[in-house]
Amino acid sequence: MPLEKTDALMSLRDLKVEFDTRHGRVTALSGISLDVKPGETLGIVGESGCGKSITALAMMGLVPNPPGHVTGGSIHFQGEDITRARARRMRKLRGGEIAMIFQEPMTSLNPVFTVGDQITEAILLHQDVSRTQAEKQVVELLATVGIPEPAKRAQSYPHQLSGGMRQRVMIAMAISCRPKLLIADEPTTALDVTVQAQIFDLMRDIQREFGVAIVLITHDMGAIAEMTDRVAVMYAGRIIEQGTSDQILDNPLHPYTRGLIGCIPVLGREAAGAEALPPLAEIPGIVPPLHLLGEGCAFAERCQLADDHCRAQRPALEIPALQNGGHPVACHHAGITTRAELPA
Amino acid sequence: MGTIRYIFRRLGYGLILMVGVVVLNFLLIHAAPGDPAEVIAGEMGGITEQMMADIRARYGLDRPLPVQLGIYLANIARFDLGMSYYFDRPVSQLIGQRIWPTVLLVLTAQVIAIFLGVVMGVLASRRPNGPFSGFVSVFSTVGYAAPVFWTGLMLIILFSVIVPMFPVEGMSSARFRGGGFAYALNVAHHLVLPATTLAIIFLAQYARLSRASMIEVLGADYVRTARAKGLGEGPVIFRHALRNAVLPILTVAGIQFGNLISGALLVETVFNWPGMGRLAFDSVLRRDYPTLLGVLFCASGVVVLANLVTDLSYRLADPRIRTGGR
Ligand SMILES: Nc1ncnc2c1ncn2[C@@H]1O[C@H](COP(=O)(O)OP(=O)(O)OP(=O)(O)O)[C@@H](O)[C@H]1O
Ligand SMILES: [Mg+2]
Repeated sequence: MPLEKTDALMSLRDLKVEFDTRHGRVTALSGISLDVKPGETLGIVGESGCGKSITALAMMGLVPNPPGHVTGGSIHFQGEDITRARARRMRKLRGGEIAMIFQEPMTSLNPVFTVGDQITEAILLHQDVSRTQAEKQVVELLATVGIPEPAKRAQSYPHQLSGGMRQRVMIAMAISCRPKLLIADEPTTALDVTVQAQIFDLMRDIQREFGVAIVLITHDMGAIAEMTDRVAVMYAGRIIEQGTSDQILDNPLHPYTRGLIGCIPVLGREAAGAEALPPLAEIPGIVPPLHLLGEGCAFAERCQLADDHCRAQRPALEIPALQNGGHPVACHHAGITTRAELPA
Repeated sequence: MGTIRYIFRRLGYGLILMVGVVVLNFLLIHAAPGDPAEVIAGEMGGITEQMMADIRARYGLDRPLPVQLGIYLANIARFDLGMSYYFDRPVSQLIGQRIWPTVLLVLTAQVIAIFLGVVMGVLASRRPNGPFSGFVSVFSTVGYAAPVFWTGLMLIILFSVIVPMFPVEGMSSARFRGGGFAYALNVAHHLVLPATTLAIIFLAQYARLSRASMIEVLGADYVRTARAKGLGEGPVIFRHALRNAVLPILTVAGIQFGNLISGALLVETVFNWPGMGRLAFDSVLRRDYPTLLGVLFCASGVVVLANLVTDLSYRLADPRIRTGGR
């Protein structure tokens, strides 16, 4: 894919990440192209193992190496290809311009330092301020993310806080240096439902206040409906459908995406405004192991619509010619929902 | 729980433990065949019945065993460890002279073992499948399996016969007349081989443990967080990872202290180091029971103290324990 000029904050073009494993080299990401625009929220959805976290880590320049390697493509952040940036430059961007919060608030904070010290460390790293000033900022930040008694809480160790509080601390640390991009890798998966809603509210507030672009990684279509402007659906290391949240939720073109939406539990379905959906379903089968991926569509084994063409040739991600318009999707039978509609 | 209260409770337990050690060893020694009076008499030569009785009376050997034990415990409470049969001097004096060489040897070995072990472990953990990591694994297995006297003898051969660099006997040169700093240097020179020998077994364990511990910690989420905030490898490894990886090492260091002291016994014998280990060894050969008991009592005291220090440093290093969390 040629590198077109975009107004994107971050653009991934044909990004390839491979891992050395016991089965030899496997391709975790095989050509991901994505744009994140300033101030928007982009959702990335997909089942476990499809490469969401690796995409996020690649955006941070943190693909674990060994065993991982970025073997192709580019990641431009504000016009600069960060796959080619020096380690020093990357450290400046990380935590400064691009910040990340993780799935497990219980283990993402270092148990032997106070949460205040851990945020202070980030501030001192990226801002030219004294320790006292940084500590003052920490208290303000903790107040911003809704932590009661912030001055006292700054002295707490992670184990003295609840999961929700720790995720708020992580968010405070992430926004401490006013990043332009915040990557949230399943930020609420480990939290219970009411706390999930609070964290999403907080993220929305933060976005409004700081104008930060958010990449929200999730396997929860309910969260997509609630939070995102645009969505990329991933399957087995590729993007298989991409569009605005409305396009994806109201008019999913890929059978896999339809399956995901069919999996939204009732709460999320109401939020999605999708009463007309078929009953709660699950997608049969599992994601094929990366080292067993063949030439055809990776979803073919699990797809009701799959035919020989699907198994032989992988569909490209492109806008299909449909009357009611469309958005990029990688399916030979885009827009078809049942076998009966298949062309003879 | 307050730290002060904790210290006192631990010291209380330690005291009970030390009394237990004394009672057990006292009974064991008296269950062993042989009459101490004869040993003492043997040292004098040409002994009569009357002199034997005198000896028994003087050392309290004519009383029933429980009474002897009671007297011994009461004396210990007054820091009186009795008289050595062999040296005919107070045991506390003997130990007072011998304890510092042992403490010097054991602490030096412990510091070398922990420091080098952690350095090797950290380096190995950087590339868990790399050649250095493999070397550390092999070295730990060999170092752990090799008996201490064998290691000692190999070092003696290497450094006194092949490349004579270090003295292999005693704690200072016999004819050394300097004082102060020069004396310290002389002792340090003599310390190299015994401390290295003693360190090697424990070094192997610390290297293996810190390699495993570092590999685990480097994969932890908070290390990823540390990288995500833009920290360089130095602070990530030494501030964030190592602080957590040393916690299990501290625990093991405390447990190993007792083993270190029994290892010192062998090392002191091989290198003729004038410490408590040699004293204990010689007392066994000479059936000098008061000295042997005194050494065991003091050694258990050292172990109790060392464990306490370990626990306190653990509390200092891990806020989850200090603040009573999970
Ligand atoms: N350290 C690694 N070594 C080998 N393979 C890896 C490694 N990390 C990830 N992978 C591979 O990359 C693929 C993508 O992993 P990734 O963690 O991005 O999945 P994910 O979509 O985030 O899943 P989840 O929803 O479970 O978090 C997986 O199939 C996995 O096999
Ligand atoms: Mg993940």
